[in-house]
Amino acid sequence: MMDRYSLLEKIGLYIAIAIFLTFVLLPFFEMFMTSLRPLDHLRSAPYKFWSDEFSFDAYSNMWVTVPKLGRYIFNGVFIAGAVTVLAMIFVVPAAYAFARFEFKGKAVTLSLFLAVNMFAGAVLLIPLYRVLRTLGLLNTYFAMIIPGAAFLVPMGIWLLKSYLEKIPKELEEAAYVDGASKMYTLRRVMLPLAAPGLVVVGVSVFIGAYAQQYLFAITFNQNSDYMPLPAGVFEFIGYQDVVWNEMMAASLVGVLPVMLIFLFMQRFLIAGLTAGAIKE
Amino acid sequence: MATLNLKNINKSFGATQVLFDIDLAINDKEFVVFVGPSGCGKSTLLRIISGLEMATDGQIIIDGDDVSEAHPVERGISMVFQSYALYPHLTVYENIAFPLRVQKKTKEEIHAGVMEAARILKLEERLQFKPGALSGGQRQRVAIGRSIVRKPKIFLFDEPLSNLDAALRGDMRVELSKLHRDLDATMVYVTHDQIEAMTMADRIVVLNGGRVEQFDTPMALYHTPNTKFVASFIGQPSMNFIDAEVTGLNGGLEVTLEGNVPMVLPVDTTDAAVGDRVEVGIRPEHVFYAPGAGVLNITVDILERLGGVSMTYGGVAGCEKFCAALDGEAPISEGHVVPLGVNPEDCHVFTKNGIALKRQKLPALV
Repeated sequence: MMDRYSLLEKIGLYIAIAIFLTFVLLPFFEMFMTSLRPLDHLRSAPYKFWSDEFSFDAYSNMWVTVPKLGRYIFNGVFIAGAVTVLAMIFVVPAAYAFARFEFKGKAVTLSLFLAVNMFAGAVLLIPLYRVLRTLGLLNTYFAMIIPGAAFLVPMGIWLLKSYLEKIPKELEEAAYVDGASKMYTLRRVMLPLAAPGLVVVGVSVFIGAYAQQYLFAITFNQNSDYMPLPAGVFEFIGYQDVVWNEMMAASLVGVLPVMLIFLFMQRFLIAGLTAGAIKE
Repeated sequence: MATLNLKNINKSFGATQVLFDIDLAINDKEFVVFVGPSGCGKSTLLRIISGLEMATDGQIIIDGDDVSEAHPVERGISMVFQSYALYPHLTVYENIAFPLRVQKKTKEEIHAGVMEAARILKLEERLQFKPGALSGGQRQRVAIGRSIVRKPKIFLFDEPLSNLDAALRGDMRVELSKLHRDLDATMVYVTHDQIEAMTMADRIVVLNGGRVEQFDTPMALYHTPNTKFVASFIGQPSMNFIDAEVTGLNGGLEVTLEGNVPMVLPVDTTDAAVGDRVEVGIRPEHVFYAPGAGVLNITVDILERLGGVSMTYGGVAGCEKFCAALDGEAPISEGHVVPLGVNPEDCHVFTKNGIALKRQKLPALV
């Protein structure tokens, strides 16, 4: 059997996984350790791996140091969520059209979308600033949501398009022969089958939105009420001191809701949902 | 009532023309099979009838109405796909109910329709299952259920059995024939399997290279093929062909087969002339072991004893791959030369252009 591994191969696999996980998770571990340390430990030598002075104080003090912390955490998730919803509204019909219909300029538009993605957001900050100022959207949620969605729509279309293409065409033809309209087919046949793909695309867009909102937030928004967490943690940088332990604690707490969403979403990422649709 | 008339159907994909001037008149309640090698345009023709493809030119007339531009539902057709095309996220019940839900039928009508289809197809026990939990034959039945629930005038089947294993295919063939009898509907069925065509069809359309070669009953195709193509396509194993020359026209077609075998064949000689090169077609089942009275001598290469028949493969003069279905007990063996007999009235004759000369002594059945 192809999927049987010898003991040696298994050990090798687990070592590789362990190295990979260490690489990915070590920063989080260090964040957590930092959040437990008293501030004066950070620069003390020798480095202390463990100390009796460790405490969870930072987790309660941070709400006092930065009173709007809760608001920032909410803003971060809210902006990324709104970006995801807005982007998906455009991505789903566009990806369906690109996956299924033949029309003039299809290849050109698709490559244009890819080309747009190659511009880093930073290059477009100044033109975007002017656009948003003209529209009167500076210092609003929209200043962060609209550009955020615009940058993520092309990637979403590409991802979802390739997923939709894998759904057998006969299913749509069968629905068509049975008298279903294009929208009915999309709603009752395509989207339920594309659910795993939608989750993948939605999650990718969400991650993208969460990661890129920092740039838009510090450029297009001065109103601290609308600040997302990545920009908000700047308030832990004081005139004299950087409150590192509280900053790390805030970052960890801020990531928590996102992690919970992912854990929940993972259940939808099951393969094999199309089993039985057509002959294998 | 559901008659189907195709008038002068042409179809091109870009510069490639795949169907040429298809004219067919299919009667009410007839079971018609489109058969032909892959790429002959049979599936495209079915898709044009269904409305999934538009003909480049020509008309589709169902019950006297021109439906060339109509939607599949308005045409009153339903289609069963080769790949079943079941909705994997819906239960069997919902799959069958789908066409009725699209039509916004009431809950009671939907339930009645689904239960009726399930009863006909013996799917009552499986209604709450998803397609993934069903066997191939059951999936095929669900696909058929989805097509009968709308009570269409014409059923279209696109190679519905080609994904099933041989035993199941045989069973489903019988079930489909029964279904045709019970539903009393017009059916058009596409297959590349000539056995399916022969066993199920009232009439068969043989397609080749986008043209209709012949449209007739299975027995007529077998006994009086119009062309060499039909002759070689219908019948299992295929007909053998031996080159010959016309030597006279007295009392039938006098020919000399390769290897200097003279024969007089009872076919129409109107279009023949002395000196013409022709091909004589002989079906494997029409030759017999004839010690002392052989017309052909076969050098046996491979011998397959199947019990009732001995399939004998080897070379005769003018045909290197000759196949003969001999008696099961025929005392022959590989590597030996065996004399074979054949009755002149069982032979077919084709001109160099592949056109058949009409046979004049036919079995009573045709």
